[in-house]
Amino acid sequence: MAKQTLTRKASDNKYYHKDFHIALNFGIEYLKEKFGKEAVKEYLVQFADAYYSPLRKELKEKGLIAIKEHYEKIYKIEDAKFDMSFSPEELIIYLFASPAVMHIKSNGHRVSTLFRETVLTVNKTICRNTNYDVEMIDYNEKNGGYQLRFHRREN
Amino acid sequence: MISCTEFIPAYSELFKYIEQKENKAAVIEFWNYLSDVFLTSLKDLVATNGIRGCWMYWSKALAEEAADFTMELDEDAGEFSITMHHCPSKGRLLEYKHIEPYRDYCEHCDFLYRRVLEPLGFKYEIDLSQTHKAQCHITVKGDKEFGKLNGN
Repeated sequence: MAKQTLTRKASDNKYYHKDFHIALNFGIEYLKEKFGKEAVKEYLVQFADAYYSPLRKELKEKGLIAIKEHYEKIYKIEDAKFDMSFSPEELIIYLFASPAVMHIKSNGHRVSTLFRETVLTVNKTICRNTNYDVEMIDYNEKNGGYQLRFHRREN
Repeated sequence: MISCTEFIPAYSELFKYIEQKENKAAVIEFWNYLSDVFLTSLKDLVATNGIRGCWMYWSKALAEEAADFTMELDEDAGEFSITMHHCPSKGRLLEYKHIEPYRDYCEHCDFLYRRVLEPLGFKYEIDLSQTHKAQCHITVKGDKEFGKLNGN
Protein backbone atom coordinates (compact mmCIF):
# COMPACT_ATOMS: atom_id res chain seq x y z
CA MET A 1 0.00 0.00 0.00
CA ALA A 2 1.43 3.32 -1.10
CA LYS A 3 1.80 6.30 1.12
CA GLN A 4 -0.79 8.98 0.60
CA THR A 5 -0.41 12.69 1.18
CA LEU A 6 -3.03 15.39 0.97
CA THR A 7 -2.33 19.10 1.34
CA ARG A 8 -5.06 21.71 1.32
CA LYS A 9 -5.12 25.44 1.84
CA ALA A 10 -7.99 27.23 3.58
CA SER A 11 -8.92 28.83 0.25
CA ASP A 12 -9.44 25.40 -1.37
CA ASN A 13 -12.70 24.83 0.48
CA LYS A 14 -15.73 26.72 1.77
CA TYR A 15 -15.98 27.02 5.55
CA TYR A 16 -19.23 25.21 6.17
CA HIS A 17 -19.19 22.30 8.61
CA LYS A 18 -22.84 21.54 9.27
CA ASP A 19 -22.07 18.95 11.94
CA PHE A 20 -21.26 21.86 14.24
CA HIS A 21 -25.04 22.25 14.58
CA ILE A 22 -25.10 18.75 16.06
CA ALA A 23 -22.27 19.60 18.47
CA LEU A 24 -24.10 22.73 19.65
CA ASN A 25 -27.25 20.70 20.21
CA PHE A 26 -25.27 18.24 22.35
CA GLY A 27 -23.80 21.16 24.29
CA ILE A 28 -27.25 22.60 25.01
CA GLU A 29 -28.56 19.21 26.08
CA TYR A 30 -25.53 18.59 28.30
CA LEU A 31 -25.98 21.89 30.14
CA LYS A 32 -29.69 21.21 30.62
CA GLU A 33 -29.06 17.75 32.09
CA LYS A 34 -26.09 18.71 34.26
CA PHE A 35 -26.96 22.22 35.45
CA GLY A 36 -30.65 22.74 34.58
CA LYS A 37 -32.66 24.82 32.15
CA GLU A 38 -31.58 28.17 33.53
CA ALA A 39 -27.94 27.31 32.87
CA VAL A 40 -28.70 26.97 29.15
CA LYS A 41 -30.12 30.49 29.08
CA GLU A 42 -27.30 31.82 31.25
CA TYR A 43 -24.70 30.32 28.91
CA LEU A 44 -26.42 31.68 25.80
CA VAL A 45 -26.59 35.15 27.37
CA GLN A 46 -22.89 34.97 28.17
CA PHE A 47 -22.03 33.78 24.66
CA ALA A 48 -24.24 36.33 22.90
CA ASP A 49 -23.03 39.17 25.13
CA ALA A 50 -19.47 38.39 24.14
CA TYR A 51 -19.70 37.28 20.53
CA TYR A 52 -22.43 39.59 19.25
CA SER A 53 -21.17 42.76 20.93
CA PRO A 54 -20.17 44.25 17.54
CA LEU A 55 -23.67 43.51 16.19
CA ARG A 56 -25.25 45.15 19.24
CA LYS A 57 -23.06 48.21 18.68
CA GLU A 58 -24.20 48.31 15.07
CA LEU A 59 -27.83 47.96 16.15
CA LYS A 60 -27.42 50.99 18.40
CA GLU A 61 -25.78 53.01 15.63
CA LYS A 62 -27.71 51.95 12.53
CA GLY A 63 -30.96 50.52 13.86
CA LEU A 64 -32.75 47.38 12.70
CA ILE A 65 -31.02 47.33 9.34
CA ALA A 66 -28.04 45.88 11.22
CA ILE A 67 -30.09 42.86 12.30
CA LYS A 68 -31.59 42.50 8.83
CA GLU A 69 -28.18 42.47 7.18
CA HIS A 70 -26.75 40.08 9.75
CA TYR A 71 -29.46 37.46 9.22
CA GLU A 72 -29.50 37.87 5.45
CA LYS A 73 -25.83 36.95 5.52
CA ILE A 74 -26.31 34.02 7.93
CA TYR A 75 -29.28 32.57 6.05
CA LYS A 76 -27.42 32.83 2.77
CA ILE A 77 -24.49 30.88 4.22
CA GLU A 78 -26.89 28.27 5.56
CA ASP A 79 -28.96 28.19 2.35
CA ALA A 80 -32.11 28.87 4.38
CA LYS A 81 -35.55 29.73 2.99
CA PHE A 82 -36.74 32.95 4.60
CA ASP A 83 -38.63 36.16 4.17
CA MET A 84 -38.39 39.53 5.90
CA SER A 85 -40.66 42.48 6.40
CA PHE A 86 -38.66 45.58 7.23
CA SER A 87 -39.23 49.14 8.32
CA PRO A 88 -36.97 51.27 10.56
CA GLU A 89 -39.45 50.58 13.39
CA GLU A 90 -40.04 46.87 12.91
CA LEU A 91 -38.35 43.85 11.40
CA ILE A 92 -40.21 40.58 11.07
CA ILE A 93 -38.22 37.51 10.09
CA TYR A 94 -39.89 34.41 8.75
CA LEU A 95 -37.55 31.43 8.72
CA PHE A 96 -39.47 28.61 7.08
CA ALA A 97 -37.25 25.81 8.38
CA SER A 98 -34.08 25.97 10.43
CA PRO A 99 -31.10 24.46 8.60
CA ALA A 100 -29.64 23.67 12.03
CA VAL A 101 -32.66 21.71 13.24
CA MET A 102 -33.09 19.96 9.90
CA HIS A 103 -29.44 18.88 9.88
CA ILE A 104 -29.60 17.59 13.45
CA LYS A 105 -32.75 15.62 12.68
CA SER A 106 -31.59 14.28 9.34
CA ASN A 107 -28.59 12.76 11.12
CA GLY A 108 -30.85 10.90 13.49
CA HIS A 109 -30.40 13.05 16.59
CA ARG A 110 -33.07 14.35 18.92
CA VAL A 111 -33.26 18.12 19.01
CA SER A 112 -32.97 19.54 22.53
CA THR A 113 -36.23 20.95 23.86
CA LEU A 114 -34.25 24.10 24.66
CA PHE A 115 -32.78 24.53 21.17
CA ARG A 116 -35.23 27.36 20.51
CA GLU A 117 -33.28 29.38 23.11
CA THR A 118 -30.46 29.62 20.57
CA VAL A 119 -32.89 31.91 18.77
CA LEU A 120 -34.87 33.72 21.48
CA THR A 121 -32.29 34.13 24.26
CA VAL A 122 -29.54 35.01 21.80
CA ASN A 123 -31.61 37.69 20.07
CA LYS A 124 -32.97 39.07 23.36
CA THR A 125 -29.38 39.44 24.50
CA ILE A 126 -28.35 41.19 21.29
CA CYS A 127 -31.16 43.71 21.89
CA ARG A 128 -30.27 44.29 25.55
CA ASN A 129 -29.38 47.90 26.36
CA THR A 130 -30.55 49.08 22.95
CA ASN A 131 -33.71 50.87 21.84
CA TYR A 132 -35.00 47.61 20.39
CA ASP A 133 -36.55 44.39 21.63
CA VAL A 134 -37.55 41.10 20.05
CA GLU A 135 -40.35 38.62 20.51
CA MET A 136 -40.85 35.15 19.14
CA ILE A 137 -44.26 35.09 17.52
CA ASP A 138 -44.08 31.50 16.37
CA TYR A 139 -41.75 28.52 16.62
CA ASN A 140 -42.19 25.26 14.74
CA GLU A 141 -40.91 22.40 16.90
CA LYS A 142 -40.82 20.07 13.91
CA ASN A 143 -38.45 21.99 11.68
CA GLY A 144 -37.17 24.83 13.87
CA GLY A 145 -38.75 27.48 11.66
CA TYR A 146 -39.75 30.68 13.40
CA GLN A 147 -41.23 34.10 13.18
CA LEU A 148 -39.29 36.78 15.05
CA ARG A 149 -40.42 40.34 15.51
CA PHE A 150 -37.83 42.99 16.30
CA HIS A 151 -39.31 46.35 17.22
CA ARG A 152 -38.54 49.64 18.85
CA ARG A 153 -39.04 49.52 22.61
CA GLU A 154 -42.02 51.34 24.02
CA ASN A 155 -41.06 54.00 26.52
CA MET B 1 -30.22 31.11 14.61
CA ILE B 2 -26.60 30.48 15.39
CA SER B 3 -24.89 29.56 12.13
CA CYS B 4 -22.50 26.62 12.05
CA THR B 5 -19.94 29.24 11.01
CA GLU B 6 -20.42 30.84 14.45
CA PHE B 7 -20.07 27.60 16.37
CA ILE B 8 -16.42 27.92 17.34
CA PRO B 9 -16.86 31.01 19.52
CA ALA B 10 -19.99 29.37 20.99
CA TYR B 11 -17.92 26.28 21.75
CA SER B 12 -15.10 28.28 23.34
CA GLU B 13 -17.59 30.23 25.48
CA LEU B 14 -19.23 26.96 26.52
CA PHE B 15 -15.92 25.72 27.91
CA LYS B 16 -15.53 28.97 29.83
CA TYR B 17 -19.07 28.75 31.17
CA ILE B 18 -18.66 25.17 32.40
CA GLU B 19 -15.37 26.04 34.08
CA GLN B 20 -16.99 29.04 35.81
CA LYS B 21 -19.85 26.81 37.01
CA GLU B 22 -17.51 24.14 38.35
CA ASN B 23 -13.88 23.71 37.34
CA LYS B 24 -11.53 22.39 34.63
CA ALA B 25 -12.43 18.80 35.50
CA ALA B 26 -16.02 19.56 34.52
CA VAL B 27 -14.83 20.84 31.14
CA ILE B 28 -12.93 17.59 30.60
CA GLU B 29 -16.03 15.67 31.64
CA PHE B 30 -17.93 17.56 28.91
CA TRP B 31 -15.25 16.75 26.32
CA ASN B 32 -15.53 13.08 27.23
CA TYR B 33 -19.30 13.23 26.86
CA LEU B 34 -19.00 14.96 23.48
CA SER B 35 -16.47 12.42 22.29
CA ASP B 36 -18.87 9.58 23.13
CA VAL B 37 -21.94 11.07 21.49
CA PHE B 38 -20.50 13.17 18.65
CA LEU B 39 -17.55 11.20 17.28
CA THR B 40 -19.38 7.99 16.50
CA SER B 41 -18.58 8.31 12.79
CA LEU B 42 -14.82 8.42 13.51
CA LYS B 43 -15.18 5.40 15.76
CA ASP B 44 -17.14 3.46 13.13
CA LEU B 45 -14.75 4.36 10.31
CA VAL B 46 -11.66 3.34 12.26
CA ALA B 47 -13.26 0.18 13.64
CA THR B 48 -14.12 -0.87 10.08
CA ASN B 49 -11.14 0.44 8.09
CA GLY B 50 -8.31 0.61 10.58
CA ILE B 51 -5.98 3.57 10.32
CA ARG B 52 -7.42 4.41 6.90
CA GLY B 53 -10.57 5.36 8.81
CA CYS B 54 -8.64 8.37 10.19
CA TRP B 55 -7.88 9.46 6.63
CA MET B 56 -11.53 9.01 5.65
CA TYR B 57 -12.86 10.91 8.65
CA TRP B 58 -10.49 13.87 8.56
CA SER B 59 -10.60 14.22 4.75
CA LYS B 60 -14.23 15.23 5.06
CA ALA B 61 -14.06 17.14 8.34
CA LEU B 62 -11.01 19.24 7.46
CA ALA B 63 -12.37 20.04 3.99
CA GLU B 64 -15.65 21.27 5.49
CA GLU B 65 -13.71 23.28 8.06
CA ALA B 66 -11.57 24.80 5.28
CA ALA B 67 -8.39 23.92 7.13
CA ASP B 68 -4.85 24.57 5.93
CA PHE B 69 -3.17 21.21 6.48
CA THR B 70 -1.10 18.29 5.25
CA MET B 71 -2.40 14.82 5.96
CA GLU B 72 -0.29 11.66 5.50
CA LEU B 73 -1.26 8.02 5.57
CA ASP B 74 1.18 5.11 5.53
CA GLU B 75 -0.81 1.93 5.94
CA ASP B 76 2.27 -0.31 5.75
CA ALA B 77 3.77 1.47 8.70
CA GLY B 78 0.35 1.85 10.36
CA GLU B 79 0.75 5.60 10.66
CA PHE B 80 -1.44 8.58 10.04
CA SER B 81 -0.63 12.22 10.70
CA ILE B 82 -2.05 15.68 10.34
CA THR B 83 0.19 18.72 10.22
CA MET B 84 -2.13 21.63 10.83
CA HIS B 85 -0.53 24.66 9.22
CA HIS B 86 -3.41 26.89 10.23
CA CYS B 87 -6.31 25.59 12.29
CA PRO B 88 -9.55 27.24 11.15
CA SER B 89 -11.03 27.06 14.64
CA LYS B 90 -8.15 28.39 16.70
CA GLY B 91 -7.28 30.75 13.87
CA ARG B 92 -10.73 32.32 14.08
CA LEU B 93 -10.55 32.63 17.83
CA LEU B 94 -7.20 34.36 17.59
CA GLU B 95 -8.54 36.75 14.94
CA TYR B 96 -11.49 37.96 16.99
CA LYS B 97 -10.61 41.18 18.74
CA HIS B 98 -13.66 41.24 20.98
CA ILE B 99 -13.53 37.78 22.56
CA GLU B 100 -10.85 35.89 24.40
CA PRO B 101 -10.51 32.17 23.54
CA TYR B 102 -10.94 29.66 26.35
CA ARG B 103 -7.46 29.29 27.88
CA ASP B 104 -7.14 25.57 27.09
CA TYR B 105 -9.30 25.57 23.97
CA CYS B 106 -7.05 23.30 21.90
CA GLU B 107 -6.96 20.58 24.55
CA HIS B 108 -10.39 19.40 23.42
CA CYS B 109 -8.70 17.87 20.37
CA ASP B 110 -6.56 15.80 22.71
CA PHE B 111 -9.40 14.51 24.86
CA LEU B 112 -12.04 13.97 22.17
CA TYR B 113 -9.95 11.98 19.69
CA ARG B 114 -7.78 10.09 22.18
CA ARG B 115 -10.92 8.75 23.82
CA VAL B 116 -12.08 7.29 20.50
CA LEU B 117 -8.79 5.99 19.11
CA GLU B 118 -6.94 4.50 22.06
CA PRO B 119 -9.65 1.98 23.05
CA LEU B 120 -9.46 0.78 19.42
CA GLY B 121 -5.78 -0.01 19.90
CA PHE B 122 -4.21 3.07 18.35
CA LYS B 123 -1.64 5.37 19.90
CA TYR B 124 -2.69 9.01 19.65
CA GLU B 125 -0.26 11.88 20.07
CA ILE B 126 -0.85 15.58 19.68
CA ASP B 127 1.68 18.39 19.85
CA LEU B 128 -0.06 21.52 21.10
CA SER B 129 3.08 23.58 21.63
CA GLN B 130 2.37 25.92 18.68
CA THR B 131 -1.34 26.56 19.15
CA HIS B 132 -0.65 30.26 19.77
CA LYS B 133 0.05 30.27 16.01
CA ALA B 134 -3.02 28.06 15.29
CA GLN B 135 -0.71 25.15 14.47
CA CYS B 136 -0.58 21.62 15.83
CA HIS B 137 0.49 18.13 14.84
CA ILE B 138 -1.43 14.89 15.31
CA THR B 139 0.02 11.40 14.94
CA VAL B 140 -1.94 8.17 15.10
CA LYS B 141 -0.03 4.90 15.16
CA GLY B 142 -1.89 1.68 14.78
CA ASP B 143 -1.87 -1.97 13.94
CA LYS B 144 0.18 -2.57 10.79
CA GLU B 145 -1.64 -5.84 10.23
CA PHE B 146 -5.14 -4.38 10.31
CA GLY B 147 -5.33 -3.69 6.58
CA LYS B 148 -3.98 -7.12 5.64
CA LEU B 149 -6.34 -8.93 8.01
CA ASN B 150 -9.29 -7.07 6.56
CA GLY B 151 -8.24 -7.56 2.97
CA ASN B 152 -7.71 -3.84 2.33
